[in-house]
Amino acid sequence: MTEPHDDEGWQRLHPLSPLLRGGIVMLAVLGYGVSQLFDNVLGSFDPGTVVPGDLPDGGDAGREFSYTTHPVVALALLVLVIAAVAGGSWVSWRFARFRVTARQVELRSGVVFRQHRQVPLERIQAVETTRPLLARLLGLAQVVVQSAGGSDSQLTLAFLDAGRAEEVRAHLLELAGRADEQGAWADPRDPRDPAAPGAPPAAAVRAEDAAPLVTVPNDRLFVATILHGSTIVLGAIVLVGLTAVGIAEQGIRVLAGAPALIPVVLGLAIGRVKELLVHGNFSIARTGTSVRVRHGLTDLRTSSVPLHRLQAVEAVQPLWWRPWGWWRVRVNVAGVQGDDSGGDETTLLPVGTLDETLLVLATLGVRPDDPLVLDALQGTGPDAGWVGPPREARLLDPWAWRRIGYALSPGAVHIRSGRWTRHAVFVPHARVQSITLSRGPLQARLGLASARVVSTPGPVAAVVPHLAAADAEAFLAVVGDHAREARRPATGTRGPAGAPHSVAETVDPLAPDAPPLVD
Amino acid sequence: MTEHLVPPVEPAGPNPEVTLHGGPLPWRPVSPALATVRLIVLGVFLVVPLLASVVVAALVSPFVWLGTAALLALGAWGAWIIRRQVSAISWVELDEEIVIRKGRLFRSLVSVPYGRLQYVDIQSGPLVRAFGLATCEIHTASPESGGSLPGLPTAEAEALRTRLAARGEAQRAGL
Repeated sequence: MTEPHDDEGWQRLHPLSPLLRGGIVMLAVLGYGVSQLFDNVLGSFDPGTVVPGDLPDGGDAGREFSYTTHPVVALALLVLVIAAVAGGSWVSWRFARFRVTARQVELRSGVVFRQHRQVPLERIQAVETTRPLLARLLGLAQVVVQSAGGSDSQLTLAFLDAGRAEEVRAHLLELAGRADEQGAWADPRDPRDPAAPGAPPAAAVRAEDAAPLVTVPNDRLFVATILHGSTIVLGAIVLVGLTAVGIAEQGIRVLAGAPALIPVVLGLAIGRVKELLVHGNFSIARTGTSVRVRHGLTDLRTSSVPLHRLQAVEAVQPLWWRPWGWWRVRVNVAGVQGDDSGGDETTLLPVGTLDETLLVLATLGVRPDDPLVLDALQGTGPDAGWVGPPREARLLDPWAWRRIGYALSPGAVHIRSGRWTRHAVFVPHARVQSITLSRGPLQARLGLASARVVSTPGPVAAVVPHLAAADAEAFLAVVGDHAREARRPATGTRGPAGAPHSVAETVDPLAPDAPPLVD
Repeated sequence: MTEHLVPPVEPAGPNPEVTLHGGPLPWRPVSPALATVRLIVLGVFLVVPLLASVVVAALVSPFVWLGTAALLALGAWGAWIIRRQVSAISWVELDEEIVIRKGRLFRSLVSVPYGRLQYVDIQSGPLVRAFGLATCEIHTASPESGGSLPGLPTAEAEALRTRLAARGEAQRAGL
């Protein structure tokens, strides 16, 4: 009954799982009921403490005998309730089984309504383990397997022993990260070139002993979380309010309006605190062919994303972070939505210095030795290799038009935008889903068009607005061409192995080499 | 071997003809019957307020004729837009992509590689079906990237779906 494996490899979840899944609510209800019964049981043995009007069944004072107050009946009820709950939990636990085969991971659950969910290993997009507070106290964790089928496509193994959960995660990743699908980022001319220089070979490093690449100190995270548009606007309002109090006779009235701000402040504070809780204790490590992210102040989360599942990578720098040189790195992974259920698996670096950001980008496959990458992050004007909007675009985007642009490296499309909040987006050629061009009436008047590389849903959007119409059409042709090349099976048109790769080569010969940025 | 260092494409860029405003490629229009369908829908929406305004104008106040005129103008404008929009929808099947163009004032163009197709839907409502038309919806892994191609004759839509499915299978790329 208790052996973990049976003949077909089916395994059980941890026996405490139903208790945890029911969660605190069930515990509270159970606790309340038990305490009530205990009161009655104990109370009825001690005749002095029974207050007749206090009976739970509402029995009136005149009655001398009540079933539920009789010690034996009460005790029996207590035992019955506990037995029912335990029995129900036991049955649901008995029926929930999972197994990992060579091709898929399967979960069977349900007693009356049976469910059998399977995720083929080649469809696994990411695997994470989560340890909510209660589970942490009991030493348990749940494993969530993400596949690319929309919001309800995940398979959750709740709960396993924490060590076992890590094992399952590592095992699944090992199976999911098979060699046939790797190399999305790699130079198509040079397939053997590892995406990140100096990276350990696949599967050489077990998930457990990989040293973190970057650890984000909590004090920096705290400052960065405070430095947010909403808090700064709020600060400005408060400052204006205080000055108004100081100088004008209307001050009292301003003060009277202050309580109206309380819900706003509360809302902001909750948002900020939530971000702190989610991103606290952040560390990222590379484990073989995937990256592993650990974070969470209360609910510990460990998520792993195979590198070849990344659809798009973005580095963002809000204006307020620029004096410190901080960046945030976000990614699109098919089937993994950001910000659901408090977790944020799409953030691979909540706040990092430039060096750390480049390190993380390098791990994700964006070559830091490519001058285009630094341009994408920090460039402000026309740079070599970049194609941006013509001068006419300043009417539509007076701030950012000089910075907006795209450039092509052998492995990826680089897109930069935003003058105040800087965005730098990298989409591997092999992950371009489709390309769209669009043009509104104003753009038509100025001879402009916007180009966009469509990625899977996620926080990263790869849009190059306000290109000259001809450049946008060239974007369609050139990016489409690289994508076409990258989609081909690895055996066919890939270049010779071990071809030397130099920085000078990274500017693609297909990219329009004279950027028509200025007339 | 060295010729493989550069992806084997013409230096002029492949398909330089794919532009926002058509060009020499064999762009195919959708059925003009789609305009009829959309005009009927517009008419159904306009006919009740139009009748109401006529009745009110005849019985209550001649000033309401202004409203009737405005409704008629709205209808005419709508009809003009519909004709322009439907005639602006066109599509072309290239070697590895299907390209769909739409709109005149707000032009858009989407290029979906066959290898990225997840599935293709054919939809047709009762009115559209009465005209022998169907909508072909193309889905990729991203919900926003797919194109929809309304107003194809049913047989053509089915044929397109079969072709797309076959090419998608042949050129299948992972996610």
